[in-house]
Amino acid sequence: MAVVNFSVNGQAVQLDADPSTPLLWALRDHLGLTGTKYGCGIAQCGACTVHLNGAATRSCIIPLSAVAGMEVVTIEGLAGEQDHVLQTLWYEMNVPQCGYCQTGIIMAAADLLRRKPDPSDADIDNAITNLCRCGTYPRVRAAIHRAAAQLAGGAA
Amino acid sequence: MNASRDTPVDSSRRRFLINASVLAGGLALGIRAERSDAAQSTPWAPDTASGRELSAWIEITPEDAVIIRVPTPEIGNGAMTQAAMNVTEELACDWSKVRVEFCSMHRDFMEGGVYNRGFLPFFGGHGTNKDRLAYALQLGASARERLKAAAAQRWGVPVADVTAQDSVITHSASGRTLSYGALAADAASITLDAEPALKPQSEWTFLTKASPAKLHIPPLVRGEAVYGIDVQVPGMVHAALRQCPVHGGKLKSYKPEVVLDMPGVRAVVVVDPAKTRGTPVESQATWGFATNQVQSGVAVIADHYWQAKTALEALPVEWDLGAGVNWKDTAMIYAEGEALLDADEAKVLRESGDVNAVTGGRVVEHTYSTPYCENAMIEPLSGTAIVSAGGAEVWCPTQDMLQAYWVAVDETGLKPETVRMHQTYVGGRFGRSTQGDDVRMVVAVAKEYPGVPVKTIWSREDCFEQGRYRTPIFARYRAQLGEDGYPMAVRSRASFIGTHPIYQLPLGYDDQPYFTSGIIPNVHISRNNYPVSVMNGAYRGPCYNTHAFTVETFIDECAVAAGIDPLAYRLHLMSRWDEAWSDCLRVAAEKIGWGRKLPRGEGLGIAISSWPSAAMRGTGTVVCSAAHVAISRAGAIEVKRVDVAFDCGRVANADAVRSQIEGATLFGMNMTLNEQLTIRDGVTEQRNFDSYPMLRLRDPLPDIHVHFEALSGAERIDIIGEAPVGPIGPAIGNAIFQATGKRLRSTPFRNHDLSWS
Repeated sequence: MAVVNFSVNGQAVQLDADPSTPLLWALRDHLGLTGTKYGCGIAQCGACTVHLNGAATRSCIIPLSAVAGMEVVTIEGLAGEQDHVLQTLWYEMNVPQCGYCQTGIIMAAADLLRRKPDPSDADIDNAITNLCRCGTYPRVRAAIHRAAAQLAGGAA
Repeated sequence: MNASRDTPVDSSRRRFLINASVLAGGLALGIRAERSDAAQSTPWAPDTASGRELSAWIEITPEDAVIIRVPTPEIGNGAMTQAAMNVTEELACDWSKVRVEFCSMHRDFMEGGVYNRGFLPFFGGHGTNKDRLAYALQLGASARERLKAAAAQRWGVPVADVTAQDSVITHSASGRTLSYGALAADAASITLDAEPALKPQSEWTFLTKASPAKLHIPPLVRGEAVYGIDVQVPGMVHAALRQCPVHGGKLKSYKPEVVLDMPGVRAVVVVDPAKTRGTPVESQATWGFATNQVQSGVAVIADHYWQAKTALEALPVEWDLGAGVNWKDTAMIYAEGEALLDADEAKVLRESGDVNAVTGGRVVEHTYSTPYCENAMIEPLSGTAIVSAGGAEVWCPTQDMLQAYWVAVDETGLKPETVRMHQTYVGGRFGRSTQGDDVRMVVAVAKEYPGVPVKTIWSREDCFEQGRYRTPIFARYRAQLGEDGYPMAVRSRASFIGTHPIYQLPLGYDDQPYFTSGIIPNVHISRNNYPVSVMNGAYRGPCYNTHAFTVETFIDECAVAAGIDPLAYRLHLMSRWDEAWSDCLRVAAEKIGWGRKLPRGEGLGIAISSWPSAAMRGTGTVVCSAAHVAISRAGAIEVKRVDVAFDCGRVANADAVRSQIEGATLFGMNMTLNEQLTIRDGVTEQRNFDSYPMLRLRDPLPDIHVHFEALSGAERIDIIGEAPVGPIGPAIGNAIFQATGKRLRSTPFRNHDLSWS
């Protein structure tokens, strides 16, 4: 066990845990943030995507020791006072089916929109490599494009 | 036998330990203040009635929230939302005030099956099932009339003079209004002389008219919706479970002392089929217990999952692998199944005319097959349970609450009145959690560490290894075509491979209208099954998803052999059947531009099938998919466009149906192009998503167009989750034949070389 200092959703955290614990399980089991999902444990499915120092990262293969001093944002911390535009559109466009993979997709999409405010289809293909077994891909793509349009146009 | 480093402790101490691991910073990082979402993040209902209910299903709070308790799990098809819509139609409440909870199966038992209405309370795609829909509508109407009576009583006016709309009762003559919330307490004590009659469907204002999004999306997209794996109970510990990698094998030995001193480890426990105690009363389980027996295994229990998993990996375990290890490879299993196509005996499924009396004609004879596949839902199997001598409590992502409840009763041997079960949100599943083998293992583990809540999680590798896979099926067809090119006789036999007979279903096979309508005068269809140790189970549209491929590829081959356009061929063969099928064929074909000239390497294909009762006119859901594919010279498949036409009678929520058809089309496409599990020495070779390719956004996905024009408008509102999985695969295969001249008779298509020059 060792104490690891980092920040989660803007709050300083000191976690006394095995430094080899994947960030995913530190968030879920130690901090109670279960919006970040376990799907594969080998960075294949993307259900565990969080923002690590601002960049979409698969938390299941990041050991706790590697996040010392870093800023982690999880789905629970994505929104400000208001929902993120993606969260709003996900409801308006009825994007999720079972929804389990969707928090990871939203985190990947939020990072994409921050980097590329007007992403092309190819940008989306490259950024959203998450697995969705329910087949929501067409709606995910459409919602990201609409989010980009809303962000470009100011208020939604 | 169990090995324990310490005795289980009370939950207050455990809670302290968990909190103590966080030296600073809140536990609620990023979780905002309590919300008023329509679907709460922990939406489980109380086990006992509160005083202000209008029925076990409906409670209206003084603040005007309408709480609707539903027996339909939410697996992604919107069934939870649909169940609430059904009540709302007659209750005439404001949809924005509706909150949904999953009902309590404990209460269902105690109150004599108050939630167990209609065709089984299982995975709720049957939310619009005729019996259950009528029941839900009646609940809404009866509650509404009580609210009206309460208002009339308070105002001293005839009840005929008041109206109900959007959660408000109005006396228009005087302009007075009262909210439902203000009347609910009075309404709860009103007795009506007679329960009100239901509106005819033609007067519905919400069902079939509105398309609300799923109610649990807001908490879901904020990461607050609680799936099975997310359950947090004070004092909870975590288990990592290992079962014999060869299905049916047994634990031989293990060395708990090697891991008991590892960080966080509390115990190593053994699960054993012999420890199942059996239900003390007659079970009401939907499916019974044959398909969900405990598998021999060992689990490490620790403070945190990662500790449990790490220790489990270090735990020395020896297995008696059993006879299953003798299956050297999948080909060996499939050879046995395929050989049964030639067996002397088989169970006859359908026989008409006399196939033996038909001589001559052009013979079309081929064999088709589909392999083992894994459900591969992104949420791994999991569940949480606390078991003690006096009772049990279970939290699980089941697809069938009644089944899960009775499995828990059966495993613990506890009286049902002492068992409580909480439905969580369900990450996919596609049939995997209908039988309750997962719930049983969760309870079996917790039973070995009594008095403490234990969450058990299957790793992804365990999910692949311990699946209940899609039933592999071989099917051979032999047609003799008459001078007009249409079959005079069809003989077919299918071989099902697997242990569980309930997943050797003929749905979509012998019941296809080709074989039942009389258009083919001589039909003989039979089946065999080959039992092996590898366990099969429910996989979205069980067996139907294969039959649609084999039947519709074969019919296409007959059309080609006859020199008749495949669409015209099908329309002729449907000419003695329910017009809805022909309508679906025509709409899908028209939309994809059937008959148009395409560049080399491109083709159109079409296929049609129905779930779950193709032989019964005016029932179930028929779906026709038409596909436009392009095959590159290197042989890469691009499905450019898919047009889907369907008939399920009417639709209750058009966008929910559209969403299901889009998703099921991609599911069926993935199943056909990519999916395949292989077995070596009795063990599944694929262990994770890196060896089990599945569609992603970057793959060439088709534009999917869902068309409502073929809907018959019949009064039924039938299920939509399974049917569209069937026809998309053969539609793609038939299009590939048009594009390349190569006929694909087995899946996955990625195994075939489609290159051309």
